[in-house]
Amino acid sequence: MDRLMSDKHRAVQRSVRDFCERELRPIAAEIDEEARFPWEVVEKMAALGYFGIQVPPSLGGAGLDSVSYAITIEEVSRVCGSMGLCIAVHNSVAVYPLMAFGSEAQKDRWVKPMARGEKIGAFCLTEPNAGSDAAAVTATAIAGDGYYTVNANKVFVTNGGVADVCLIFARTDPSAGRKGISVVVAERGTPGFVVGELENLCGMRANPVGSIRLNDCRVPADHLLGREGNGLLIGLAALDVGRIGIAAQAVGIAQAALEEAIQYAKQRRTFGVAIENHQAIQMMIAEMATQVEAARLMVYRAAELKDKRLPFTKESAMCKLFAAEAACRVTDAAVQIHGGYGYSKAYAVERYYRDARVTRIYEGTSEIHKLVIARSVLQEA
Amino acid sequence: MNPHIVVCIKAVVIKASRGRVVRTPDNVRLNPFDLPAIESALQLKAQCGGTVTVLSMGPPSSRIALAEALAMGADRAVLVCDPCLAGADTLATSTTLAAALRKLAPYELVLFGVRSSDSDTGQVGPQTAVGLDIPLVTGVHRMEPRDGGLRVERTMDLWVETFEVDFPAALTIRPEAARPRDTALGGLAQAFDQRKVELLTGADLDLAPERVGEAGSPTRVLSIKPVTHERRCRFLEGETAEVADQLMDHLIAKGLVD
Repeated sequence: MDRLMSDKHRAVQRSVRDFCERELRPIAAEIDEEARFPWEVVEKMAALGYFGIQVPPSLGGAGLDSVSYAITIEEVSRVCGSMGLCIAVHNSVAVYPLMAFGSEAQKDRWVKPMARGEKIGAFCLTEPNAGSDAAAVTATAIAGDGYYTVNANKVFVTNGGVADVCLIFARTDPSAGRKGISVVVAERGTPGFVVGELENLCGMRANPVGSIRLNDCRVPADHLLGREGNGLLIGLAALDVGRIGIAAQAVGIAQAALEEAIQYAKQRRTFGVAIENHQAIQMMIAEMATQVEAARLMVYRAAELKDKRLPFTKESAMCKLFAAEAACRVTDAAVQIHGGYGYSKAYAVERYYRDARVTRIYEGTSEIHKLVIARSVLQEA
Repeated sequence: MNPHIVVCIKAVVIKASRGRVVRTPDNVRLNPFDLPAIESALQLKAQCGGTVTVLSMGPPSSRIALAEALAMGADRAVLVCDPCLAGADTLATSTTLAAALRKLAPYELVLFGVRSSDSDTGQVGPQTAVGLDIPLVTGVHRMEPRDGGLRVERTMDLWVETFEVDFPAALTIRPEAARPRDTALGGLAQAFDQRKVELLTGADLDLAPERVGEAGSPTRVLSIKPVTHERRCRFLEGETAEVADQLMDHLIAKGLVD
């Protein structure tokens, strides 16, 4: 990399940071506590282009690069993990596959309103018995008379409670194994499209994560994304991009925890001095700052490789693995530095601690990422 | 009436670590007091048409502030940038900006923030207006177009003054005048990827070398050091009513209430 950040990236960072500090910071604790999706801020984010970060202007998006995308997700997540999650998932695993694999008519129909934030997207792969084992999906989409009849039980759908456009991974050919899986796009409001109960989650509580069920839902045949049987290919391509977003989110949460820890260490006094003077605290702060910096560099590098149209699967898996693990360590240390107060809802670090935890689980667990990385590294050798 | 509105802006220093002012892209940003001036210009343009030019003098790192103004909606951005302009105080800066404004003429309105967040003099706006020999109203919090000019309001302590000014005129704009819009991501992409900040050098301005930069600056900043505020804490004791009385006595003694 020639430079860490261009002037454009700095300007994006400031713009998003200013907006989030003013609009999201005052409500971040409250929407977490109430598990409320803040439509009032979402509408403002939509007007500013946060829902079409990398969509070209011709389709109504902001037309930014992947590094700017990562910076945007990082900055939103630094203030509110749940909203970082909302826009990361919408932009990466919902909008991106529609742009990459959709026909012109499909882009017109879905990408345009999604880029303006008028429709929110969701990625529906996970089922009660299929997640890391993506090929195990049992949902079906059976073709006939110009429609797919879709039956699916999708769980842990990010944005599930508010999503209008859902990418459903289902078997179009139940006998074809991995190659029988396709993606069909189902719209909320179609008969048989049921939004289930929302999950009562440990963190990311302002995101309406829930289940979506399709019961004999008739989806027009032209809602097939790409070709029949290409579902896993589309899914993996989407997740390569999605991982950069989740990694950026983890960096944002870790950055927030680091800042809170530094501020607290300067105020809190024990044994007659501010605790920042204790070596035990300094060791923790040094570790935290280094983890955040390393994670951020890995995210920017993966994003830059993508912008340069170079292979980035390994790098995106590495940055997701490292950033998620770092976020958990850093938020844990931030709680430790706060002592008992860190375990109280009076301070933000407990929220960061809860929010960070899931970054090691969703869009591929840390363990799955190690398999992806190992496969890639061993093949290179 | 399609006025040409020029907003003079500054890329301010965010941090002066150890008392040193270093203008790097990481360490400068658009002066927050200029944002309401840019917003006022954009709102006036929305009302009566015209164009908005943003103008700045500074090192190359100032480009980012001008591009941010383009992203907000300005039509044109001009940076006056030349090593011979370095070390300028408010007088040399005003002389330079006035010369650049003559190059950008014709203009109807020149707007400034009331002050900058990093040097806080409030002098550049008024001095530039004097240099251009155009009427000036400072501390404007409201303006509306009228035929051939503006009707503007400014607050002086307990009085609101209303002026009618004819174009061309200069105003310094108070933060209350307009809440600056948020920059859309698409605006930033376009400003940085597709649009250019135009450059003017010292040679373009027809100014004698002794009037610009350090040579043209009768004032010098000798040193900068951070101000430290010492906080003291005193606990008042007794019944609530007694504590309230003690608190009032204390505040009155400090001259904070009367």
